[in-house]
Amino acid sequence: MNILASYSWLKEYCKTDVSPEVFAREISLRAMSVEHIDVLREKFAHLVVGVVVAVKPHPNADKLRVVTINKGGTSVDIVCGGVNVEEGMKVCLAEPGAKVMGHDGKPFDIGVSTIRGVESPGMLCGPAEVGFDALQTHDKYIWDLRMLTDASAGTSLAEALGMDDIIFDLEITTNRPDAKGMIGLAREAGVAVGGDFTWTPPSLPQGKKNLPLRVIIEDKKRCLRQMAVAIKGVKVGPSPWWMQKRLLLAGVRPINNIVDITNYVLLEYAQPLHAFDYAKLEGSEIRVRAAKKGESIMALNGKTYELKNELVLADAQKPLDIAGIMGGEHTGTTETTDTIVFVASAFDPVTIRKTARALNLYSDAQLLFEKGLSTEMPPLALARAVELTLQIAGGEIASEVLDEQVRPCKPAVYSLTPRRIRDRLGVEVSDEQIVDILTRLGFGLEKSGSRYKVTVPYWRDHDIEEEVDLTEEVARMYGYHLMPSVLPVAAPPTTPDDPTLVWEMKIKRALAAEGLTEFFGYSFIDARDLERAGIAPIQAVRVWNPLSEELGYMRPSLIPSFLRDCAANAPHTPTSEVFEISRVHIPREGDLPREELALVCGMYGGEDGEYAYRRVRAMVETVMQTVGIAYRLERASEETGWHPGRTAKILARLGNEEVVVGILGQVSTAYQQAFGLLRPVMMTSLNAELLFARAKERRTYTPVPEYQASVRDISLTIDEATTHADVATILEKGSFVRKVELADIYRGQGVSEGKKSVTYTLTLGAPDHTLTSEEIDATLRGCVEALQVRCGAELR
Amino acid sequence: MDLLQQLSELEQAGILAFQAAQTLDELEAHRVLYLGRKGKLAESMQALPSLSSEEKRVAGPRANEVKATLEGAWEAATGRIQAKHDAEAGEKERIDISLPPLNRHAGHLHLTSQAIEEICGIFSKLGFARSRHPEIDWDYYAFESLNMPKEHPARDEWETFFVDDGSGKVFTGPRGKMVLTPHTSNGQVREMEKGVMPIRMISLGKCYRRQVSARHLPVFHQFEGLMIDEKVSVTELRGVFDFFVKRFFGPETKTRLRPFHFRFTEPSFELDISCTVCKGTGKVKDAKCKLCKAGWLELGGAGMVHPNVLKAGGLDPKKYNGFAFGWGLERTLMMKSGVNLDDIRVLYRNDLRFLSQF
Repeated sequence: MNILASYSWLKEYCKTDVSPEVFAREISLRAMSVEHIDVLREKFAHLVVGVVVAVKPHPNADKLRVVTINKGGTSVDIVCGGVNVEEGMKVCLAEPGAKVMGHDGKPFDIGVSTIRGVESPGMLCGPAEVGFDALQTHDKYIWDLRMLTDASAGTSLAEALGMDDIIFDLEITTNRPDAKGMIGLAREAGVAVGGDFTWTPPSLPQGKKNLPLRVIIEDKKRCLRQMAVAIKGVKVGPSPWWMQKRLLLAGVRPINNIVDITNYVLLEYAQPLHAFDYAKLEGSEIRVRAAKKGESIMALNGKTYELKNELVLADAQKPLDIAGIMGGEHTGTTETTDTIVFVASAFDPVTIRKTARALNLYSDAQLLFEKGLSTEMPPLALARAVELTLQIAGGEIASEVLDEQVRPCKPAVYSLTPRRIRDRLGVEVSDEQIVDILTRLGFGLEKSGSRYKVTVPYWRDHDIEEEVDLTEEVARMYGYHLMPSVLPVAAPPTTPDDPTLVWEMKIKRALAAEGLTEFFGYSFIDARDLERAGIAPIQAVRVWNPLSEELGYMRPSLIPSFLRDCAANAPHTPTSEVFEISRVHIPREGDLPREELALVCGMYGGEDGEYAYRRVRAMVETVMQTVGIAYRLERASEETGWHPGRTAKILARLGNEEVVVGILGQVSTAYQQAFGLLRPVMMTSLNAELLFARAKERRTYTPVPEYQASVRDISLTIDEATTHADVATILEKGSFVRKVELADIYRGQGVSEGKKSVTYTLTLGAPDHTLTSEEIDATLRGCVEALQVRCGAELR
Repeated sequence: MDLLQQLSELEQAGILAFQAAQTLDELEAHRVLYLGRKGKLAESMQALPSLSSEEKRVAGPRANEVKATLEGAWEAATGRIQAKHDAEAGEKERIDISLPPLNRHAGHLHLTSQAIEEICGIFSKLGFARSRHPEIDWDYYAFESLNMPKEHPARDEWETFFVDDGSGKVFTGPRGKMVLTPHTSNGQVREMEKGVMPIRMISLGKCYRRQVSARHLPVFHQFEGLMIDEKVSVTELRGVFDFFVKRFFGPETKTRLRPFHFRFTEPSFELDISCTVCKGTGKVKDAKCKLCKAGWLELGGAGMVHPNVLKAGGLDPKKYNGFAFGWGLERTLMMKSGVNLDDIRVLYRNDLRFLSQF
């Protein structure tokens, strides 16, 4: 909740003469944060009062005129499109260098311009161009200052309008609705900045019995206090400029003096008020009750609300006001109103909150009420409203000052132990400092032994809930910025990092080192993407209030978003190797979804299936080696969504069981096309949760061979159906064979159809001597013979 | 004496030949010719045994002298040719040094992963261990146990996503509604419930809020720090915060705590750091700094854990207290100078042209 607070208004109640910068800094460090400071003199620089001397037609444009302006001593001719410009009018002249608001809401700079052949050193402003949209009656309206100032031509606008002020844009935390008013803010400022808080509470006027008026609280749970008073003989019209000015600077639109008074008191006391036209009430009773079924009300915003059992203020016939939120359109004050009734109330905050949400109706009053306002504020605000009315709208009190209260306000009292404050803060703040701070904030303190009995002031009755809240009051006014910075002295716990998160990071690093780029996506997924990957949306957690349909579900698997993102990248990056590790959510009956880590990685856009397969297998190998889990592959020719000839299940022995920990293969043509991918995707999906939970750093030592190894290639022609595993298994069994590597696969010229030529590189060695060429030849011969017999291989 | 004569001639011819050689090959041929195992010098020496002992006394040393001279001349010639060769290599073997780098196909960790690693690494130095808590949780953990009773207006600050129960209603269980966690603070009470004291936890997870703009994402990351022990104070929170900030943003970064309000901490404050762009001056070349507020950037929220939260976690507030802090990872990432993203949404679009930059 941000408010715009005028420094001069604050100074009426807090006597201080520090600079605006110091004020902003100190109040930010101890109370509410100032987000922005507006110095009006600077904002209105190069805006001056001008007097219209002559109005001449523009030689080249029907809708424009050339206006001669006396700007104090000298005159200038300004081209102007305003329709209300007349001789003798006082206007706001924006001279070159000024910054004004454009119709598009963006500020623009004024310079000397030539408009349809006539030079114009500046422009005449409408109120909106100065920043007061509320006063702009129509597009072509030039601000007429005659009623607002006696200042002579050439005076700066800020001075002429009495606006040589500073405006603080402050963020008020939700627990401090009291500080949204100038009184509450001035009280805070007095302590935070230093300065006397000089506000004296106004007293309620004497009531009269000239007009009958009663208030009755029927719903004593939802309404806690209801006050009302009638004033007869008021003259409704525009407010004086000083009041309009304060409303405008606070961002409130002036309406008429009575409405303006309620808004003014709202800004000053942070207590909403409402004014009814007495003549429009049926009967003389105002009841605070639940709305009856079938009742409706047209609110001040012009919309009609059907009511069920919302709390309302009602006369004998109809609801007058949706309690705490908005008054009715038909019972408000107008130009012809003679007698007004001011009402001031205190409500249960939850009621206001629920009603606002149920009706989808919000207002400044509601924003305050739902945060919790004191039952002691209505008499003060009402007294202030009456005071202002008699001062600027005339009239006299015509009714009793009515006050119904469900129960009297009983201030809360808490026990405070200074030692506990010192412990919590880690700072030796003295008893005297504690007493001083709390007293100046309005708390009552009474010493009892080593403790204090602290009485909470009425304006803090919602946010101070226990002793610890008093610690904060002391701490912030003492100043967090003055507290030392100390590293924890106690021994740190020995709790390790969650191991799954440690493994997650290790695997990410390993895959990036393998050359993969990491995807990192939203957890949300479109139901259509789920379906494209063969997942029924019912298998996913559905968001009840999604931002859009595309973000309607939580990912139960990373495959759909992986394919979607590959497809999105393919047009500009035809092929790439990518991975993602993230939590996925799998719905469970009656409980939180199962939340587990999943891993997908692969390559999209590769034309050569064998190459892509081997790349992705390398990725699987990287993962499995890093987590230290042995695995084997098993051909899977009937997995939905996967290519029947290019897919394998990944099995690992975890504990006593061999379980499927993932799948590796080419995405089926159907799924590939569903995502709009023109070229194949080879990928693996692994149950990272399972793997990370069983992961173990395995480091084994094999002695480095003492005797030199020999390297030999074997080239063979074998049947297509013979697998690498068939050949490698045989080769690995050869004596002296240390390592078998597939060096090349060749098909084509020189190799007959249905056959392939493969080359293996064998590393041979013995632990106790260097192999002789006879031993090497014998080994190779043995290997070749075995391959001939078992696989029908032919030596090339 | 024939042999001495022969040696002198051989010496002269050899020196001349070595000096005249232009290439190493040519030189090698001459070396073989004069100094080789079957070369001219060796050939002359074959006559040595047949000489008288007197003649041998003269011819022997002379032959050694010639050998040394020739070897010296050969070495000099080698040096000369090598030097010439080196001088020419600059021209002949010249490589275009402007050729582009030939990279191995490099992988890329996502910026967010990099930040997670860096941030957790810093807190780890102070004994904070990473913990994992649900991203979909009950209202109880997300709000109620954090001193935010139902209907409390403080809840409005979180625009919360709920989970559908399959029939169009909000999924509701024994611990309230099921929500997508709007902050990582749901981990506070869950961590306390583990019952292991003291606690120094850092929990980093996805959070969800109904918002989306150039500066706000519906899915973002927060990290939550929690320290609970028998005697923990605001000054220690400051210490931990300062340590992190100086390690992450640089030792010259200044910090300040500013009062704020959170239901689950008391006292509560916001943590500000001096602006990384204008260095805390609030000005960039005489104009107002666009990134900060008067030289300060708001980093996150923090405070001393509220006694009601400790109670909800099964701890005795008379015995234990502690502090909690939390802030947005993406925001932290953006504030660190160097990565200047004008639109935060680009982070999670998974565009490889973006991802491969980091």
